[in-house]
Amino acid sequence: MTRTLKKIHKWVGLLIGVQVFLWLLSGLVIALIDPVKVSGKQWARPTTAESQTIDSTRLLNPAQLPAERLKNALGVDLMMRHGKAVYLVKRADGESLVSAVDASLIVIDKTDAERLAQQDFGGDGVIVSIEPGMAPDKETRGKKGAFWRVNFSDKANTAIYISASTGAILERRNTYWRVRDFFWMLHIMDYPGRENFNNPLIITVALIAIWLGLSGFGLLFGSFTRADFFFLNVFRKNDEAVVTLVDKKAGDSRQVKLRKGSNLFLSLATHNVNVASICGGGGECGKCRLKIECTDLPGANDIETALIPKRLREQGYRLTCQQLVENDMVLHLAESTHSNQQ
Amino acid sequence: MVVVDIDFIHGDPLVRNMQDTVVIPDSPKINFADLRTQYPDAIRIGLTPVMGKTLYTVMTTEKRYLLDPQTGLTYSPLDEQSAREIAKYHFAGEAQITNVMLITSNPPMEIKTRRLPLWRVDFDDRFATSFYIDPFNGSLATRRHQYWRIFDFLWMLHIMDYEDRSDAHNRLLIAAQFTGLTFAISGLWLLFYSFSGRRKKLRLGTN
Repeated sequence: MTRTLKKIHKWVGLLIGVQVFLWLLSGLVIALIDPVKVSGKQWARPTTAESQTIDSTRLLNPAQLPAERLKNALGVDLMMRHGKAVYLVKRADGESLVSAVDASLIVIDKTDAERLAQQDFGGDGVIVSIEPGMAPDKETRGKKGAFWRVNFSDKANTAIYISASTGAILERRNTYWRVRDFFWMLHIMDYPGRENFNNPLIITVALIAIWLGLSGFGLLFGSFTRADFFFLNVFRKNDEAVVTLVDKKAGDSRQVKLRKGSNLFLSLATHNVNVASICGGGGECGKCRLKIECTDLPGANDIETALIPKRLREQGYRLTCQQLVENDMVLHLAESTHSNQQ
Repeated sequence: MVVVDIDFIHGDPLVRNMQDTVVIPDSPKINFADLRTQYPDAIRIGLTPVMGKTLYTVMTTEKRYLLDPQTGLTYSPLDEQSAREIAKYHFAGEAQITNVMLITSNPPMEIKTRRLPLWRVDFDDRFATSFYIDPFNGSLATRRHQYWRIFDFLWMLHIMDYEDRSDAHNRLLIAAQFTGLTFAISGLWLLFYSFSGRRKKLRLGTN
């Protein structure tokens, strides 16, 4: 059961392990990049435009404007913009500005955009180019309407997006944002749009990842043995097991006391009992196998299964380099064991 | 978090009449010029639809007002009865209102960043919906429901900001991510070796 689960766990891990890695990596990158830089506020000048008192001697009331200027408006607001009294008209498909003095529709041209972007940008760089565009595009997701993209020569490659209908700053984009956005795409697995995290791909992979996590947690219980917790014995003195060494050839036996939790192969060596080995306890050569009699001899692990024939395993043969001292035991020394009694 | 549609979390299906358009008052008792005289420090004077009726909104540097163009009367701050009516007007369900309260300070976490005061109107539906009505412009400021609250809780776990649930750049998260990334890399490393026929090599060793 556990073996099958392990196998499935392994293959599923292969299947989505890379995405799990990408989730962690992109999450880390997103958390590390300074959000003030990502938003572009780091290089934006503070603005007072929002709190200017309406200051105009000659005002048209909404009813005096041509009807088409306010058609389908969800909201109409009189305010100061670019030093003039204007009506900001909100519609489902975007916003527009109408002069409150002469009812003309305000259009932000390239020169206006240049001025507005220059006013906003407080970073170290000059305008290198201005191009028209239509939102939403890659860098103006969630926005609507025509815009001017004003590119700056600063190190962060800032682009300020000015609405062509209101002159409002739609977005401030820079390298920080672009890097974050790339990792955001990897994080939410929406490669074309980079905004929808309810996509079927991420749902599928996330469900598999949850299974992977749960099965991994379940497998943890099997991968730990009592011996893994013997390190706690450092708090207990003299917790030793009696190991009886039977030397059939010499026809005698003797006892050594080994600390519980220690590696049997190494622990024997410290008592001058050198079990034959080529790899030196690495679990590679299989030479250190001995017959062990013990009340609860642990089952052979993967390495022992591979290196000891089944017949011998059933008789109690184990690799001493793979065994921990847990309980009193009887060890049948082989001819090859070099035991030096002192 | 990825399974449940984000528009549902935002409560879009719970709301109706969000796209009401304004009707320009033809011969109002007071017009914009009057309002500007009345509020010389106004920074915004507007028209806004409230329950199908177009009202005036005024924002000064300090205060906000809601007025009736036809009578010139000031409605703001809206009373409980108006808040109930506005909430019902926008609520897409059939459930009854269970509780209405004015929140002036110590807002619950779900409206922490919102401008106060707000009327909270709770509905007796299976989502435990709450509508928040702004008493100074009559708008539905926001809506919350049980799944939004669960999502917000999960988001807190996701970004490990257990206090404000909004800062995804905290040190705890970054430390956990470094740890997680280390384990992921070592896991992928081990995975590579678990496929590379190590056992076969060991079997050869016995010969």
